[in-house]
Amino acid sequence: MARMKFLCDAERCIECNGCVTACKQEHEIPWGVNRRRVVTINDGVPGERSISVACMHCSDAPCAAVCPVDCFYKTEDGVVLHDKDLCIGCGYCFYACPFGAPQFPQAGAFGQRGKMDKCTFCAGGPEADRSEAEFKKYGRNRLAEGKLPACAEMCATKALLGGDGDVLADIYRERVTVRGRGGEVWGWATAYGPAPGKGQAPAAPAQQPGGQKS
Amino acid sequence: MRSTILRAAGAIALAACVALPALAQPSTAPAPADLAKEQQQRQLAQPGNNSPVWKEVRSGVPQTTSLPGRETNVLIQPEGQTWRALRVPIATAGGALLALVLLALMGYYAWRGPIGLHGTPTGRQIERFTPAKRMAHWAMGISFAVLGVTGLVVTFGKSILLPLIGYTLFSWLATLSKSLHNFLGPVFAVALLVFIVLFIKDNIPRGHDAQWLAKFGGMLDRSGKTHVASGKFNAGEKALFWILVVVLSIVLVVTGLVLNFPNFDQTRATMQTMNLIHMIVGLIATAMACFHIYLGTVGMQGALEAMRYGYVDEQWAKEHHEYWYNDVMAGKVPRGSEPPAPAGVQHRPA
Repeated sequence: MARMKFLCDAERCIECNGCVTACKQEHEIPWGVNRRRVVTINDGVPGERSISVACMHCSDAPCAAVCPVDCFYKTEDGVVLHDKDLCIGCGYCFYACPFGAPQFPQAGAFGQRGKMDKCTFCAGGPEADRSEAEFKKYGRNRLAEGKLPACAEMCATKALLGGDGDVLADIYRERVTVRGRGGEVWGWATAYGPAPGKGQAPAAPAQQPGGQKS
Repeated sequence: MRSTILRAAGAIALAACVALPALAQPSTAPAPADLAKEQQQRQLAQPGNNSPVWKEVRSGVPQTTSLPGRETNVLIQPEGQTWRALRVPIATAGGALLALVLLALMGYYAWRGPIGLHGTPTGRQIERFTPAKRMAHWAMGISFAVLGVTGLVVTFGKSILLPLIGYTLFSWLATLSKSLHNFLGPVFAVALLVFIVLFIKDNIPRGHDAQWLAKFGGMLDRSGKTHVASGKFNAGEKALFWILVVVLSIVLVVTGLVLNFPNFDQTRATMQTMNLIHMIVGLIATAMACFHIYLGTVGMQGALEAMRYGYVDEQWAKEHHEYWYNDVMAGKVPRGSEPPAPAGVQHRPA
């Protein structure tokens, strides 16, 4: 079986939040809950980078380790899912998760948080695949429909990739190879072409006959 | 060897202090603002090299996001792993402590049995606890017991109860435990404060408490012939009051309230710290309370009745709290109101 993974190529992410919106729309996620978010590091500083982050479907998931009712389980695709019928809303998964993935519909007095909600890798929950109950609790089960996660499918720059880890690794390896040899030459310029007037100008348009006119 | 290292460290620190003001870009430490500056310079020197950005990824430092909410701008919070790792040894040690205390108490009961009276009851009753004091005690005690049990269910239920009763049933039990714990916590806090106010006067340590402590109240004498006089409360009860009721319970209340009201937008780091303190103190407090519950129920004759009905026999007072008994007899402290029922008749039938 495939081991499902997310990969966010920070050299491509343009912080459009399309993944967040796609996720909210696809799963009809309630107000106040965002299963995915985009964080920009050193915003406004040259060299800023944005990363889209959600549940990373860890192999040794901290949420599952600390859950007092053991409501987490792993599918054979390596997707970490949870059972909202068992969840008691204690918030321990939210304390433990490094990525801030677990979300709660409320943060009320007396620890009334409601049932935890998080990214399902578009794989639903323990209910029957594509059932009404599954959709209401966990959102659409795109994996059961033969589709990949909505956020990655929707990503305009293909920065966010989701799917079989082996395939993602191949795609990313190819990108890195095309961008250049070492860390010192990776970057925005190599991914999207150099800034105008600076070396390594793409030769293609000039060589195409009649390319200048059209 | 150690002194060499210390001297070297001192020299480096000194050099740093001298050099710092001279440098325009002083720090190599990963403070966020410095990393941002470093990033800016790197961008000029080595365009495309983003290592300062990647140094910040795991720093837990707030960044920028357009999504609202507490800490949504933190990409990765590293403290969660520490919290996860620390819970296990705390729960293991606390569980072992609790098991040891229960075993020790069972062993003590088998060895000594209940502590009874040597003389015959006189039939004359002295009021030991007024209704207000009893109410405060039971409000605090019952809420503490429920909080203890429900806390244990949430902490250890996954490993002990879940395999026995299954997922669905245990989830119901855990939901019930969590709700009881969260709603009774503030009740406990109020009862605790009232209790402290009502009981603090009689629990102020006195000189004669040292004698009690030296002989441990005669509790380790199987024959029960060791007699130690004490005031209204003996040194053991006073220790319990100051350690369990005053210190541990107040820490529990403060940490518990921080955890119980996430609506004030506490950070995860705050709640993790509070949770660890709450766990440690809660387990120690529960273990300590077991001693008190033992002596207050099966361990000592007359103790439960004293807190339940408020009255003790003169003989009981003389044997267990002689200075208090003397004071009552001498009229220095009030004898209290007369018992509602004639002596010997415990209560109207249920």
